[in-house]
Amino acid sequence: MRRVFNSQTIREILRPLGQIVVFVTASGVVLSLLILLLALLLRGSAADQATIERNGMDIFTYTLVNLPQVLIDGVTIGFVYAAIALGYTMVYGVLEFINFAHSEIFAIGAFVGVEALIFLESAGMLSGASNLSAYLWLILAILLGMIAAGSVAILVEMSAYRPLRHAPRLVPLISAIGVSFFLQDAIRLIESLTTGQFHRIIPTFGNFDERFSLASIPYLGTNINLDIQVKSVWVIFAAILMLVGLNYLVNATKLGKAIRSVAQDQATASLMGINVNRIISLTFLIGGALGGAAGVLYALKFTRIDPFVGFFPGIKAFTAAVLGGIGNITGALLGGIVLGMLETFAGSYLNVFTVGAFGAEYKDILAFGILILVLIFRPSGLLGEQVGQKA
Amino acid sequence: MPDDQVLLQATGVTKRFGGLIAVNKMDFSIKKGQILSIIGPNGAGKTTFFNTLTGIYRPEEGEIRFQGTMLVGKRSDQIAALGISRTFQNIRLFGNMTVIENILVGMFTRLKQNAWGAISRNKAFLEEEALAHQKAMTLMEFVGLRGVGDELARNLPYGVQRRIEIARALASDPKLLLLDEPTAGMNPHETQEAMRLFRRLRDELGITILLIEHDMRVVMGISEGVSVMDYGQKIAEGTPEEIRNNPRVIEAYLGREAIATILDGSSEAS
Amino acid sequence: MGGSRERISAWFAQGIGWANRGWHPYAIAIAYLALGTAMVYTSPRSLVGFLVFASSALLIYYIRLDKSAKLGLGILIALVLVPILGVRNIFYLETIFQISVFAALALGLNIVVGFAGLLDLGYVAFYAVGAYLWAIFGSQQLYLLEAIPGTANPDTPFFLPAGAFYLFIFLGVGLAALTGILLGLPVLRLRGDYLAIVTLGFGEVIRVLANNLDKPINLTNGPQGISPIQRPPLPQPLLDGLNAVLKPVVGHNISQGEFYNLFFYLAALAVILVVILVVHRLDDSNIGRAWTAIREDETAAIAMGVPLVRMKLAAFAAGASFAGAMGVLFAASRTFVSPESFSFMQSIGVLSMVILGGLGSIPGVIVGAAVVVILNLQVLQGLSLYLSELRQSDAVIPIINFAWKNLSTQLDPAKYQRMLFGLILILMMIYRPAGLIPAERRKRELRSENNVNLDDDNQASPSSHAEEAHNAG
Repeated sequence: MRRVFNSQTIREILRPLGQIVVFVTASGVVLSLLILLLALLLRGSAADQATIERNGMDIFTYTLVNLPQVLIDGVTIGFVYAAIALGYTMVYGVLEFINFAHSEIFAIGAFVGVEALIFLESAGMLSGASNLSAYLWLILAILLGMIAAGSVAILVEMSAYRPLRHAPRLVPLISAIGVSFFLQDAIRLIESLTTGQFHRIIPTFGNFDERFSLASIPYLGTNINLDIQVKSVWVIFAAILMLVGLNYLVNATKLGKAIRSVAQDQATASLMGINVNRIISLTFLIGGALGGAAGVLYALKFTRIDPFVGFFPGIKAFTAAVLGGIGNITGALLGGIVLGMLETFAGSYLNVFTVGAFGAEYKDILAFGILILVLIFRPSGLLGEQVGQKA
Repeated sequence: MPDDQVLLQATGVTKRFGGLIAVNKMDFSIKKGQILSIIGPNGAGKTTFFNTLTGIYRPEEGEIRFQGTMLVGKRSDQIAALGISRTFQNIRLFGNMTVIENILVGMFTRLKQNAWGAISRNKAFLEEEALAHQKAMTLMEFVGLRGVGDELARNLPYGVQRRIEIARALASDPKLLLLDEPTAGMNPHETQEAMRLFRRLRDELGITILLIEHDMRVVMGISEGVSVMDYGQKIAEGTPEEIRNNPRVIEAYLGREAIATILDGSSEAS
Repeated sequence: MGGSRERISAWFAQGIGWANRGWHPYAIAIAYLALGTAMVYTSPRSLVGFLVFASSALLIYYIRLDKSAKLGLGILIALVLVPILGVRNIFYLETIFQISVFAALALGLNIVVGFAGLLDLGYVAFYAVGAYLWAIFGSQQLYLLEAIPGTANPDTPFFLPAGAFYLFIFLGVGLAALTGILLGLPVLRLRGDYLAIVTLGFGEVIRVLANNLDKPINLTNGPQGISPIQRPPLPQPLLDGLNAVLKPVVGHNISQGEFYNLFFYLAALAVILVVILVVHRLDDSNIGRAWTAIREDETAAIAMGVPLVRMKLAAFAAGASFAGAMGVLFAASRTFVSPESFSFMQSIGVLSMVILGGLGSIPGVIVGAAVVVILNLQVLQGLSLYLSELRQSDAVIPIINFAWKNLSTQLDPAKYQRMLFGLILILMMIYRPAGLIPAERRKRELRSENNVNLDDDNQASPSSHAEEAHNAG
């Protein structure tokens, strides 16, 4: 046991944890200060009047009171994006290829996890389950989602991407778009045939909907409540576990070294005795499994899923990957957190700050705006390419 | 003021990739009507230097002047329009276009037609197209190709593709032609023909030529001057005869031990 | 096995040789066309008849006829047979109209993807720009800017006279081209795959804007969409005249709605002809060659003096402008637009037509549009109909003992367009990336010069190269 926990192991576990703390704190602080400044500037404006009328408090107080909840929600969704973004970034790092179907791999994970829980519920296992067994069932659902999503990812790679590996860049991308569309309707077909409907809702079980109260700070007559849903804790915890695990796998194991060498140069890696096809399959397996887990977590957080559920999270996670620097695992983490925060801020405050002219609906296209800006001004992302840099 | 005869002058050109300095303070000039060669071991930075000349890379330092015009910061297409044309080390023809179309693309900057002319097929457009077509045929003839005008470029053998690439480069009426390893992969007979062609380009069309070349018979056979690059730097310059006997060149090609045995340590500095 | 296959192919080649000899092709083409016409005329519901009729256009394209004969038969089909058969069974006119709309869109996208090699995943955004342009100006919407969606007074006057439609086709072209340039300017420097995602994003942005610009001022009426939108006025004497001619042939009085369907079909046809003319002529010019060169090898193209961003912008604007024109046409023909018509799926649908037919191939793209629309409207919907009939019957699948009655009503093949598009994209990329009818480069050199070969001796004959090219494609 002592040999497993050598200094490198500890370093590779602590480093991403440290990064997570830094990224979350930094982006949280920066965005909070910005939004508070904006609220301060808007005092006395029409937006301020409207807020006082509707909420009985001025715009600055309103912003401040809601801020903790916005931050917590932002971090939660940010971790989901980060977990999905890992799949894009891994594949891009190794093949320089946008796996457009990753959003459907995510959806498959969500469906398998939710169907497993629905099955457990109908078998009577979920009602009245203790918290501990509820947690175990959730973990089982996540594992099943991971297995299904990972296997489909490998199948897709072997059937639709591998034959096109040496074709011009856009050819496999078009094939991937085809796979994405095909899988959406395949999920729909299977769900329609087996369950008669393709919108599924995750069963309510355990104490996932309860809220922990972390703190309650009195402020000018109201309370700033800081609480978090149990399921959000689970989402954050599971995502951190995956991020740390992947980081360890890629940076501290022999397998990770093989992945990195294939990312650098396939021909040379193959000369060094690495089975390139196996490593590429493995990359899809890992990326797909992480996407599948993210799918179950997403379903836990947002409860309702349909075959097209992957599209927006997929696009946003891809944006997150590009924002952080595609091909870079740490970048995916940073991009996910920043994007999740930005989006939640926009969703929570845009409506109030623009007096209803622009609603929360615009948060869905915020990601595209960011994507375009990043690609134009800093195509290598915030952290630049690391894993998959090619000469 | 630079010498009137100097066509292209590069001073202190430096191109880095991350920590790697691919071209390091390169000075170079070529006069009108010259045929010069750049030689050097693989990875010496020759092609990178070509790419800085043609605007594919932007050098971090130094300046490049072509007939007095500053090239650094200009885009490739602008540089091509000024009269610098090139071929590529690993032939880059437009594979799914016919040979004639490839050559016509080379004429892009010399054609005055616009979208309206193309759609309305007015007289000016038709006349220009006919002329361009004729010129393409002449160029094919000049480089020794006949009867392949309608073939897709990718279907033709290697030696033919090399010539098409030269014809395409000539189509823009270049003043300076950069040839990147133009005889690579050719047999001795083909190489001889290629050398004859290069001479004709200069003698009959008045085009100044700069070659990157590995084949010493070509370098020694047709160039009037040779620059040697190693590790991104120019380590020697002179006539083919001078270069042949330059110890630093031999060192760069053969390594330090070889030089010791060849020269018995007689001439150390140069 | 091999022997019999060879025999079959030899027999096949002989057949084709016979069909293309002398007067044979004329007889075959006319007979086939007459057969298709008769089948559709006598049994308007027959899918086989429709397919025979539709494929006669392909036969005429391929069989060895005089250019003038091909043109004549084409005009006969487009301007006489289709209108008559279409009015006889309005469902076919709808199919043909959709084919022509999507063929025009696919031809526009083909400029961007097929010629210039830029993967545009948000192409319907430009279609939406055109459609909303006429929807906003050609309806009452501009008088309802302050109204909450759904509360409009139906007696509000129209903002512009209906005749402005013709002007707005050109405005649609201009606005869509401008949008294309504005989008293209910042993003066309991006590498191909990033460009694809950014255009996807742009398409979504336009859709979300259409969905949400009912506030602060009600410009698009939100998710409910804008309706009614005016159609251009048709002169009554013209209608009467046409009715007098057509009534005996189609067997019933032609309603105004049917006339409008005919009108929009012809308008879409006109746009297609313009697109083909423009694309065909641009292709054979400096601009078209530059596009193809960019698609083949950007670095080589720019080194030959092709200004990348400018040429890409031109491709983007050209593709967008045709979509803009079709958008205006679409808004008027449907008298209704809503954000739903401009989803990502529509963009991919148009892309799948281009890929199926053949990137850069004008006849290919038209065939691609026809095949996808027919699959969509005839085959998938036909299957849906068939399944719903089965559901109402007492039929049972033997062996697994499954009663059709119990089949989920969610299973509606007509809604499985995504699967159709997805399969087309995957299978074509893997097995036939050049499409059903691959693009051909134009032959420009005089054939007579071809008998002289190269002075090289390692040169195979040009004809064998042509064969290789054919096999490779």
